[in-house]
Amino acid sequence: MLEALLEGLVLVLQWKALAFMLLGILLGFWVGLLPGLGGATTLAQMLPFVYTMQPVEAFAFLLGMHSVTATTGDITSVLFGVPGEAASAATILDGYAMAKKGEAGRALGAALASSLVGALVGAFALAAAIPIVRPLVLTFGSPELFMLAVVGLAFIAALSSQGGRGMLRGFLAGALGLFLATIGQDPQAGVARYALGTLYLWQGLDLVPVLVGLFAIPEIIDLVVRGTSIAGALPAGKLSRGALEGVKDTFRHFWLTIRCSLIGTFIGIMPGMGGAVAQWMAYGHATQSARTAEERKGFGQGDVRGVLGPGAANNSKEGGSLIPTIAFGVPGSTAMAILLGGFFLLGLVPGPDMLSKHLAVTFSMVWTIVIANVITVIACFALLNKLAQLTTVRGSLLIPVILVLVFIGSYTSNNHYGDLVVTLLSGGVGYLMVLAGWPRAPFVLGLVLGKIAENYLYISTARYGAQWLTRPVVLVLIAIAVAVILYPLFQARRRAAAHA
Amino acid sequence: MKWKLGLIGLLALPLSAWAQQPYAGKTLTIIVGYKAGGGYDATARLLARHLPKHIPGKPTVIVQNMPGANSMIAANHVYNVAKPDGLTIGTFNRNLPVAQLTNVQGVKYDMTKFAWIGSAASECTILALRTDLQINSVEDLRRAKQPLVIGATGPGANTYDFPLLLKEFLGFNLKIVTGYQSSADIMLAIERKEVDGRAGSFTSIRPFIDRKLVRPVLRARADEPGVEQLPIDEDLATNPRAKAIMALRSAPEIVGRPYVMHPDTSPEHLKIMREAFAKAIDDKELIAEATKAKMELNYVGADVAVKVMKEMLSQPKDVVEEFSKYVKFGE
Repeated sequence: MLEALLEGLVLVLQWKALAFMLLGILLGFWVGLLPGLGGATTLAQMLPFVYTMQPVEAFAFLLGMHSVTATTGDITSVLFGVPGEAASAATILDGYAMAKKGEAGRALGAALASSLVGALVGAFALAAAIPIVRPLVLTFGSPELFMLAVVGLAFIAALSSQGGRGMLRGFLAGALGLFLATIGQDPQAGVARYALGTLYLWQGLDLVPVLVGLFAIPEIIDLVVRGTSIAGALPAGKLSRGALEGVKDTFRHFWLTIRCSLIGTFIGIMPGMGGAVAQWMAYGHATQSARTAEERKGFGQGDVRGVLGPGAANNSKEGGSLIPTIAFGVPGSTAMAILLGGFFLLGLVPGPDMLSKHLAVTFSMVWTIVIANVITVIACFALLNKLAQLTTVRGSLLIPVILVLVFIGSYTSNNHYGDLVVTLLSGGVGYLMVLAGWPRAPFVLGLVLGKIAENYLYISTARYGAQWLTRPVVLVLIAIAVAVILYPLFQARRRAAAHA
Repeated sequence: MKWKLGLIGLLALPLSAWAQQPYAGKTLTIIVGYKAGGGYDATARLLARHLPKHIPGKPTVIVQNMPGANSMIAANHVYNVAKPDGLTIGTFNRNLPVAQLTNVQGVKYDMTKFAWIGSAASECTILALRTDLQINSVEDLRRAKQPLVIGATGPGANTYDFPLLLKEFLGFNLKIVTGYQSSADIMLAIERKEVDGRAGSFTSIRPFIDRKLVRPVLRARADEPGVEQLPIDEDLATNPRAKAIMALRSAPEIVGRPYVMHPDTSPEHLKIMREAFAKAIDDKELIAEATKAKMELNYVGADVAVKVMKEMLSQPKDVVEEFSKYVKFGE
């Protein structure tokens, strides 16, 4: 075990593997920053190049590229409020709010440092979990996955503002998300639901145009209305000191970062939950760390913990999502499906063998994720202050650029004009929600988890009748969901008691 | 005089070259009806790498993904919007004729009228069950007392339609559970014994057969190397109506990776493309790559493809009605 761990490291550090990894990182960096060139498409295009490589070199190349896009996606989220990928939207809420306060440097520093911690924790949790990972994944059947989605939905309680009115708004927004998740062809009867007679909606709403519209458009309108730069009228020079502060924040809230990393790894391991879920659950958990009502109100307005949580989860989930692909040969995402193609090309059969006979290769992948993240974060820090300066550029110069990012970014998800319509409509919804003070996070959580919850509930009842409710892990998850919902109440009571 | 001839010759040279090589200096686009990452996409990208060698004039070949509505958007595009200049090729969901047959709203194409290049592979659907169940033959399957739980994605997919017809027409004791997000998710459900087996294309299940997780029991009609010894569903059906419905379901699989162009494409372009596909799929380098990627390509000619389409779309009304009771258009 330990031997394989070291052997994996040695494999990655051979000059050829390392050179390919650097090449991959360079490519991934570009792809992550450029809107429209999705990580999955780039992986598909790079696949032919691995034919002549050795397995370790090939995975260093592909994974190096893949793990970087998750990090760089956070950068545009913080700087412009435009999510680089579906999985990096949660960073916007507090990251962009910080940028507006002139703390872009600190927010980026925090996002990058927490990403790094997340990647490290994810990789080590993975290495430690390898002996038990097959039973762990197999314990989570459809009933357990359904309950996991319910726990995710329970985080709506944490993501809504407190008090009856706030909760009501939060849960209504969540319900709207759940409702929109039902759009598309349903898997039981094959009927196209709410497709409005269009072919575009057959596959349901794509997450990227919705998220880009929901978060970026309101910010663009706001920027136009204010007529200043993103950071407002701030004295120059204040920005550059921020990055280090962000790193310090990561260590100030170290346990939160670790916990969110573990959430990310765990959700990553669960096949079919998807990257966006991990980030939003981590964000929900981060808001729970607020001790007072005032602190809670700060979330969404630039609390650094709101950046640390999703930042950590975003990268730690990468390690986790390797597991279903490696140990079972079942990919959890499009990117992983393409990676699986890479396995075949290299003559490796994913499955139990990867955890015994080819353990060193598996560990070399874990190491690749670690090293690629370390290199990316260091490279980003070198550029960070320059990037943060962008938030002092006058809005009228920046807006055209951001608009291009927004529309190209969403159009490339299906190459269909419907993507643009969805972006604009969700932009309208997002703007109204901001105006009226409705939280957007519960809406996203509902949208992201809706289909998962529906399908797994159906499978659970079709397969087990009502019996699935008595499965032990299901009971534990029910308890967790209840605890998550009641936690804000408990907090309120404790505060009341403390004041009395 | 000589110089005049020379000039004519000079002028004629590029012209005659153009006549033989309409593709020189051009860019050919293969439109895939799905996002990057799936089998249709992988096949198209493999072909895009090897086609240029076999097209006179060596054009650049690129792949464009146009996902949506189970590739109906892409098919409508190639049929109605793309120019008939031989520079746009479409590859879509093999079940598109089912959408046309069952009058799905939004169909704006006629499968029999496309300029067919052919198919890059046949895809045979099989039923595979967990090895530990010890069900090795159709007889064992018939003897099963407990219903066998079959995991499926949803109507319109072979994971659902194939076992449904087995249950309805052959009376197998199956319980089909739908809602899995992908065939990969069903595989995991098999591994944790939530379901007993699944149907799906032989290509996608083969790695799990090799790993001895599942064992194939039965297959549909389309031929493919590796499935020959399995019994065929149609052969087990006793009544002709059942046979007809099963045949109708499996017909598109013979044209498993369809490649077409706009209906008005010139015969010259079409001829060049058909030859290029036939040669590219026989190309040693392509075969080496495909074998490594565990893909199996075999060229099915345009004549066969058109024949299959015509047969499918000229079924008597009562057969179509019965068919649409069971099979819907989907992924």
